[in-house]
Amino acid sequence: MKKILPQLNKAFITVLIIIITVAVTTFIQTLSLSVSLIPMLFVLCVFIISLITREFVWGIIASLISTLVVNYAFTEPYYHFNFSISDNLFSAVVILTVAITTGIMTVRIKNLEEMKLESEKERLRANLLRAISHDLRTPLTTIYGSSNAISENFDNLSKEQILNLLHEINEDSESLIRMVENLLSVTKISDDNVNLRLNMTVLEELIDNVIVKFKKNFPEREIKVEIPDELISIQMDSLLITQVLLNLLENAVIHAVGMTDLMLKVTLENGKATISVEDNGCGLAESHDNKKNSTKPSDGGRNNLGIGLSLCSAIIKAHGSNLIHESRAEGGTIFKFSLNAEVLNFEEQ
Amino acid sequence: MKNSKQKILIIEDEANISNLVSTVLETNGYKPLIAKNCGQGKMMFSSHIPDLVILDLGLPDEDGLNFIDYARANGNTPIIVLSARSDEHDKVEALDKGACDYVTKPFGSAEFLARVRAQLRTSNNIPADNTPLEKFVLHDLQIDFDKHTVTLNGEPVNLTVTEYNIVVLLSKYQGKVLTYTNIIKEIWGYQDGSSIKKLQVNMANIRKKLKIVPGNNKYILNELGVGYRMCDESDM
Repeated sequence: MKKILPQLNKAFITVLIIIITVAVTTFIQTLSLSVSLIPMLFVLCVFIISLITREFVWGIIASLISTLVVNYAFTEPYYHFNFSISDNLFSAVVILTVAITTGIMTVRIKNLEEMKLESEKERLRANLLRAISHDLRTPLTTIYGSSNAISENFDNLSKEQILNLLHEINEDSESLIRMVENLLSVTKISDDNVNLRLNMTVLEELIDNVIVKFKKNFPEREIKVEIPDELISIQMDSLLITQVLLNLLENAVIHAVGMTDLMLKVTLENGKATISVEDNGCGLAESHDNKKNSTKPSDGGRNNLGIGLSLCSAIIKAHGSNLIHESRAEGGTIFKFSLNAEVLNFEEQ
Repeated sequence: MKNSKQKILIIEDEANISNLVSTVLETNGYKPLIAKNCGQGKMMFSSHIPDLVILDLGLPDEDGLNFIDYARANGNTPIIVLSARSDEHDKVEALDKGACDYVTKPFGSAEFLARVRAQLRTSNNIPADNTPLEKFVLHDLQIDFDKHTVTLNGEPVNLTVTEYNIVVLLSKYQGKVLTYTNIIKEIWGYQDGSSIKKLQVNMANIRKKLKIVPGNNKYILNELGVGYRMCDESDM
């Protein structure tokens, strides 16, 4: 079914352009301008149709119709078909040739564009893999190194030293886990048929889930929550959106230098819920500004930022919206996005 | 009083994971048994009669869900399922079939042990002669089954009949994750397109009346996309 619509579109365009051409040429005829203009106009018509519809088929159809129309209405004997006169045959052949060559050209252009898109995708994929391998190496170094150190030097290490190394292994493992979860989401998103598992999700429950998970990762961090009183339900892939929010919160904790307030806010307006993560830290300018584009390593520490933000944008885009980031007037950063929301009636039993 | 250690059957094909789990369990006073696949799991289940089963869903020979069917046909032993992050659907199916709870890989030992304790505790709570309990207490929440009342900090909570039924159902299966389908079928008897929304509205009302705030949930946990669970004393 879906394939019929664009074809109908193209049929419509074809017919429209032919009608316009006929109108123009009839007009020319009444003005008694040079008759040789007429076949040229139909050639132009066929050319334009081939260009717009980008398919052989419509160009050929247009050229056939044009030939018939020119033969019938614009050459002698007027208002009669006559295929014997060599002039008519010749112009018919010319028009057809134009259609075919234009068709070939546009198919070539289409192919070139597709190849460019493919190589762009490949380049992005290679970059992503490079960034991932680098990001994975850092925590793995600690995990491998520390566990190795413990097993090789067990007798010579004090209990405290061992505990410290174990804590580091633990922390870096947690960072790896979050990275892997991001990667899994990337695979969900980067296919051409984006695989969202959409559910009507209650906003309150989503926020609850996010905060519980956030507190597990960053138990000492205070977070302020502001959500509307209404019962709001949003269609979303709740797993992915949870991940977006966790990524944004984690980014703020790790990269917003000097932050004292971290807020998760939701506002409702005109059937849309805007979810935002705000902090009053150093702002975007101070933190790395080569996050998404650079293939070079940003400086150490938990380096999920690069993959994290582009993933968040991609997830929000897949939900039909955009991830916006701005600096706040009072200092700090906001990351926000809006989704269509439904307000449920509390009385619905 | 149980003097002997509680037996826990681990059905997991990855040796590293089953070693890890059995070490954690043993250090905490349980007796772990290991089965490497579904077939072996069924055999050991019937011969050893464990108090709890830890089941990995990705088993080599048969679907882990088959084990759940088998175990359910032969009693009420609590089953905790180990799932990978992306298996939302499998998790829900396992819970629908009768698993009690799930732990997502990778997991920390504290979280894991808390779930084990919770499931063992609730299965021990059912008295031998099956007399119904009179009261249910959790932190400041108290349910009086005879009087059909719910109080919070001594103050009565005004729940509708449906809301009361839901709270009672969750308390009956305290610590166990009840899927949307489970709850809907128990409360309304049937499920249709608007059931989940009805349930969500009821849960939102219950949360409001129990003064539950996002991030600070002492009574009813929501497992997003899966279902709901009444907290155990050890949660929070």
